[in-house]
Amino acid sequence: MLPWVYEFHWTPFHVIFLLIFFSIFVTIVATVIVAMRRTKMAEVLQKTEAIQWHSDFEDLPPSMKTCRHELSGDVKHRVCDHEFDCRSCTQHPVLSKRQTKAPMLQFEVYGFTMPPYRLYHRGHTWVQREDDGTFKVGIDDFGTRIIGKPYSIELPPVGSRLSVNGKGMLVKKPNTNIRILSPIDGEVIEHGDSEKGWYLKIKANDPEKATTHLLKGNEVPNWILREMERLQISFATSGIGVTLADGGELVPDFHRHFPKADWDSVLGQMFLEA
Amino acid sequence: MDKFLIPRGLQRTSFGAFLLWLIPWTALLSLGLYAIYLCLAEGLFHTNMDNRFAFGIWIFLDLTVIALGAGAFFTGFLLYILRRKELKAVINSAVVIGLICYSGAVLVLMVDVGQPLRAWFTFWHPNTHSMLTEVTFCLTCYLIVLLIEYIPIVLKNRQLRQIPKFLVFEFELHKLMPVLAGIGTFLSFFHQGSLGGLFGVLRGRPFAFREELGIWPSTFFLFVISAAAAGPSFIMLTTWLVEKITRKNLVKPEVYKFLGKVSGIMLIAYVLLKSIDTLIWINSTSPGNGFPAFEFYATQSFGSWILFTEIVTFGLLPALVLLSSRLREQRRFLFGAGFLVCCGIMLNRFVMTIQTLALPTLPFDDFLTYSPSWEEVATFLFVVAYGMILYSVTFRYATLFPQEKELNQLNGELSMQEFARTGKTTSFWQPKFVTQLRNKFASSKL
Repeated sequence: MLPWVYEFHWTPFHVIFLLIFFSIFVTIVATVIVAMRRTKMAEVLQKTEAIQWHSDFEDLPPSMKTCRHELSGDVKHRVCDHEFDCRSCTQHPVLSKRQTKAPMLQFEVYGFTMPPYRLYHRGHTWVQREDDGTFKVGIDDFGTRIIGKPYSIELPPVGSRLSVNGKGMLVKKPNTNIRILSPIDGEVIEHGDSEKGWYLKIKANDPEKATTHLLKGNEVPNWILREMERLQISFATSGIGVTLADGGELVPDFHRHFPKADWDSVLGQMFLEA
Repeated sequence: MDKFLIPRGLQRTSFGAFLLWLIPWTALLSLGLYAIYLCLAEGLFHTNMDNRFAFGIWIFLDLTVIALGAGAFFTGFLLYILRRKELKAVINSAVVIGLICYSGAVLVLMVDVGQPLRAWFTFWHPNTHSMLTEVTFCLTCYLIVLLIEYIPIVLKNRQLRQIPKFLVFEFELHKLMPVLAGIGTFLSFFHQGSLGGLFGVLRGRPFAFREELGIWPSTFFLFVISAAAAGPSFIMLTTWLVEKITRKNLVKPEVYKFLGKVSGIMLIAYVLLKSIDTLIWINSTSPGNGFPAFEFYATQSFGSWILFTEIVTFGLLPALVLLSSRLREQRRFLFGAGFLVCCGIMLNRFVMTIQTLALPTLPFDDFLTYSPSWEEVATFLFVVAYGMILYSVTFRYATLFPQEKELNQLNGELSMQEFARTGKTTSFWQPKFVTQLRNKFASSKL
């Protein structure tokens, strides 16, 4: 094994065999060490949230990664490969040019209140530009109805920095903690509470490009429709079967009607958390 | 009870039913553990092996599971080195099966040597001229590689991934997978080969002895290629079996067909080389050693039928089926051929271990018979039970088949597409909730 160990011979075969073995062993150990070092570096460089989202997005089935241009009808079929961040997508500007003028969105979309002056993120948050140039962020009507009455919401403290698709808020329910994705980059300058309402006020890093990736206009109704399908399927795959066959629209206390549902699973799927 | 551990979007049986499923395997595991205890504490006289029949059921099945576990390295090689992305659907399962096969084989080897505490000796004082030394080194290293490859699967568990450090480590480790896949391929090539090579160099056993190609006997290469042929078939069969047991669709049909095609290509290459090798052995190697080849098939137990079965029934026949795209379309042919491939690898390893040792080589030798003791059988059943438990637990709490979630949702989506096209839903899955909402808001201009 080693030169000073009994029965070691300085023969080419012996030396080559052991050299190959040691090289392989060192490579295996080095691989693990490199992974550990990179993990530490990612923490130092605060890449953890980006990696978490990357991992969550990777685990989404292709049917849940529909490109916004498919939602708007610009293309027949396209799967998003930019983690729902159109700012880095080279195809987005090209496909956007094909778009005819986006029709004005109705206030009500399939029974949900989706004001047309707001922009929507796939993780069920809305963004509204304020007069002072800041952005107000909240959970959309669809998200609010499926969450039901939360026990508490943990909001990031004023002064903290958020990044697109990083952790924005944390909804805490019994046996369930659901992270809500941040729809924009920026610094939290104000936030609401249970009385004023759960919202965040954010000073965007780049106000001009801050909302490029968010859904608007005729993308929203198709997205909501798909989300309802997804909700129905998430119920089916959470062990309680298809129980949403009563028609109508989602009632505000929708959550309360299905106490036996695996809400952790349903909410996780709907808020894009693997 | 354990819902919080099950990946989101996946349906699993109730905790009670799962425990019930584990009970028989745990019983088998306990029996195996007792047999292992007897062999280690009281000695190897509990087995029916002796100085002449030194390789019994343990080595035969060890070689078989190592060949079947080759799916891990070969799938990894195709996915990470040759970039065949479709195999992403089965890579996790392949890694778990590889881990079970290799760890099980090493465990049985530890019992087989009788003194596992002295196993370090083979590393510290290696005989570099022995094929078994190469096997020992490569098996150990590859087992470490498989354990490392198993880590990301575990760390992606629903609860463990909540710990940011674990998730980031899993991500970073996954990025380095091509390195591990490359090492795994290198190690597997040599240990699969050396396992075959160690029979090929047995000059005292003319039934197994083969001419050398370079420094290795032909059996070295035959073992590598046969393992590469059997591995994908075994992955295909196990996935199908899990689908049947769990009554779920786990991978898309294209993945099965691709695995079948890969297996077919490797198998036809193996059949061709094995046929050439057998012809050379019959006409040159064996007579050159003073043994006409037909003498080896003169005994009643191992007639020439065994050679025909190995090459034609379990070789050529499934290879032709798997190479035909029309037959691969039909599941009964695809899985039937895959089953024959796995039987073929088992028969080949049986022939190389048991038949080689049973045949007499000296004029005063008799035909040796051997049947394993219950302790030998139970020790191997321990591996089967351990494998079933590890696979079941991993399947329940980790995502072994990334396409499962998507395929679970397919029924619903299909019926929605049908609705969009025809205005009616005829599938068994009626999306009434969405349908009624659509109808309600159909008139509103959006």
